[in-house]
Amino acid sequence: MYRLPLSGIRVLDLTMGWAGPYASRLLGDLGAEVIKIESARNWDVTRSLHLLGRDEARGYNRSGHFNHLNRNKLGCTLDLSHPRGREQFLKLVALSDAVIEDYSDDVADDPGLSYDVLRQARPDVILVTIFAHGKDGPVAGISVAAALCAALLYRRRTGRGRWLEVAQRESMASLIGEFFVGFSMNGRQPPLLGNRHRSMAPHGCYPCAGPSEAGWLAVAVASDAEFAALCQVMGRVDLTADARFADVVSRYRHQDELDEMISAWTRGKTPREAAMVLQEAGVAASPVASVADLMEDPHLRERGFFEKTAHPEAGVWDMEGVPWRLSLTPAHVRLNAPCFGEHNDYAFRHLLSLSAEEMAELESEGVTGRTPLLSLHD
Amino acid sequence: MTSETAEDLPLSGFTVLELGEGVSAPYCGKLLADYGADVIKVEPPAGDPARRHGPFPDGTTGAGLPHPEKSALFLYLNTNKKGVTLDFSTASGARLLRRLVEEADVLVENQPPGRLEELALSYQKLAHVNPRLLMISVKPFGEGPYGRWNATNLTSFASGGQMYLTGDPDREPLLTGGYQAEYQAGLNAFAATLAALLGLAVMEIGQHIEVSAMECQACVLEDRLPDYAYRRSDTLSQRRGNVSSVLTLEEALASPQMKARRYFQEVDHPVAGRWVYPGPPFRLTDGSPSDGGWGWRAGRAPLLGEHNEEVFGELLDLARSDLVRLRAAGVV
Repeated sequence: MYRLPLSGIRVLDLTMGWAGPYASRLLGDLGAEVIKIESARNWDVTRSLHLLGRDEARGYNRSGHFNHLNRNKLGCTLDLSHPRGREQFLKLVALSDAVIEDYSDDVADDPGLSYDVLRQARPDVILVTIFAHGKDGPVAGISVAAALCAALLYRRRTGRGRWLEVAQRESMASLIGEFFVGFSMNGRQPPLLGNRHRSMAPHGCYPCAGPSEAGWLAVAVASDAEFAALCQVMGRVDLTADARFADVVSRYRHQDELDEMISAWTRGKTPREAAMVLQEAGVAASPVASVADLMEDPHLRERGFFEKTAHPEAGVWDMEGVPWRLSLTPAHVRLNAPCFGEHNDYAFRHLLSLSAEEMAELESEGVTGRTPLLSLHD
Repeated sequence: MTSETAEDLPLSGFTVLELGEGVSAPYCGKLLADYGADVIKVEPPAGDPARRHGPFPDGTTGAGLPHPEKSALFLYLNTNKKGVTLDFSTASGARLLRRLVEEADVLVENQPPGRLEELALSYQKLAHVNPRLLMISVKPFGEGPYGRWNATNLTSFASGGQMYLTGDPDREPLLTGGYQAEYQAGLNAFAATLAALLGLAVMEIGQHIEVSAMECQACVLEDRLPDYAYRRSDTLSQRRGNVSSVLTLEEALASPQMKARRYFQEVDHPVAGRWVYPGPPFRLTDGSPSDGGWGWRAGRAPLLGEHNEEVFGELLDLARSDLVRLRAAGVV
C-alpha cells in the first residue's frame, strides 16, 4: 500500500454521533489507523438509524449513517466502565498517538481515565476532548481533525503531547467572526438578508421548470459587466440602459423588480440549462442541488467523487469521497465501516498479545462483546 | 490574553505564502498564522477585495468607497499575517513571487481558476522553483466540467447541496448568514494543509492539494447523503429544516461561558482601532489549570503593503532603489 500523510499514526476513537466520527473519518481517509471503541452498553447511536429495517438480523451493522461516518476505521469493543476494560484500554493507549473523545464515555471526567492517567500510559499522548451537544453536525469535526494534526506537528518538533479542547460552539463562532468584530465596532446586529447580499445585486434563488418537480437556480451578479452579460443571456439588453439598474447601488434598490424579470426567464428553463448558459457568459450561477442532483452530477461523476463501496453485511453503494485532492497521496475509501466488534482480534490478540483464553475471559465477563445491547438506543 | 512565545506555537517555523482574496483562502491563512506560522499575504496593489466589504465601524456595509483598513471582514480574516503588495501579472512581479516561493513551505491560493496557469505560476512551474512546496488551491468546484465556472459564496452553497436543505419548505431555498460555503472550504484547506505538512516529513517532496468548495459542502450533508445513496429515495432530503441562530451577537459576546473561557479578545489596530475578535476554534493545552497558553495567538491584520520593505528588502534582499522603482511601476 502506498503511503498516506497520516500513515503510521494510531488514533483511539471514543466519539459517537456526527462531529467526532466525521473528524476521525477524515483522519482515517488520510491514512491514520483509527480504532473506534464501543461497548455492548455504550455503542454509537447512528448504528440504530438504520434504513434497511431495524428488525433485520444484525441491523446495527447496516446503517447508512454509521457506515458513511465510520469508513476507513477499525472497530473493537471494550467496556471502559469495567476495571478490566480500562486496563486493556490503557495498554492500547501506550501503543497509540492520540485519543479522541466527546464525553460519550466521560473520559475526561473519569478520574480513572483522565489526561494525567493517559499520560502515564503514554507520556506524549495527545488527548482531544470535544465539547459538543448531542447531534452536532460534522462541520465541527473538520476543526477536530485540524486540531489533532496541529498537535502532531507540535509533538514532532517538541516531543511533547497536548490536551486539546474543541468546543463546538467556539469553532462555529469562528466561521462568522466578522459579525462579532462588526458588532463590537458599531453595536448593531446585522439585518437578516435572506438570499441577498449588501454589495451584489441581483443575488438570489430563482424558480425553474424541472422535469419532475420545481427546481431552483442561484445567481449572483458581482459587477456591471456580469449584469450586462446576464441581460444579454435573458434577451433583455434594454435593461443595461435602464437607470434603475445602472450600478450596484441602484440595482440593490430595485432588486425586487429585477428578481421578477429573472424569474420570468428562469421559469422556462431547467436549473442546469439556465446555469450552463449563464456560466457560458461568465455569470456566477448554479442549480440549487438536491442530494439526488448531486449523486447524478456530471462534474462530481467526472471527478470520481463518489466511490463504489462494498460492505460485507450492508451491500454495495456509492459513497462520497474525500473533498481534498492530494496529487501525490490521493485519499480514498480503503476500509468499510467496522461491523460491531469486528476488529477485536486485531486490537487484543495482535496489538496487545492476549491469549485466546484471556480473550474468552474478557468476553464472558462482558468487557468485550460481539453484539450491542439493543435496548440502549430504542 | 495569551502570551506564548512564537516557539511554543504548533506551527512555529513554517513559512506560508498566501495569494488569497475574499474569504476561503484567507481564512485558511488566518488559522495558519494564529497557530504560529509565518504567513505572508500577497495582495494586489489595490488590496484584497475583502477590504471593501463590511461590516464597518460606521455601520455602512461597503457601498461607495469604504476605508480600506476598517473592514471587519478583512480585519478578522487576516490576523497575524504580514502584508505585502505585488502585481504578479507583471513579469517583474512574477519573478518576485517565484523568489518568495523559494522561501515558502506552503502556498495557499484561491485565485480565479486558470489565472495562475496563464501567468506560468501553476504548481508544475512552481515545483521546479521549490520541490518541497505544498500548494493548496481552494476552488469553488475544482478541475472538471465546472472547473472554470464563475462562483460566489451563494452559488457554492447552492452547488454543494446545503442550500436545498435550508429554509422553509413552502418557500425558496435559503442562504445561511455570512460566507459559510467559503469559510468551510477554508477550514477544510487548513486541515488538509496540516495533514500534508505531516506527510511531507515522510515524502520529502511537496504536492498539490485541491480543495473543492462544492465537495466540502457535499461531505457534510449529515444523514441526507447516506439516506439517498443507500435507499435511492429522496423523501428525507425534501424536508427542509430552519437554520436557527439562537443567540444574538450581543448575547454571545456576553455569554458567561464564553467569558469564563476568555474566548473573545480585544485586539488593537493602528488605523481601525481596538475591537473584540473571536478566539481559537480549538485550544492546545498542557493539561494544567494554570496554563495560559492555547497554542494560539491573538494579533492584528496588516495594513496594505505594511511589510513590503521587510519582506522584499530583508527576506529577498532587494535594494532600496529597486523597491522604489517597482513601486513607481505599480508592481508593489
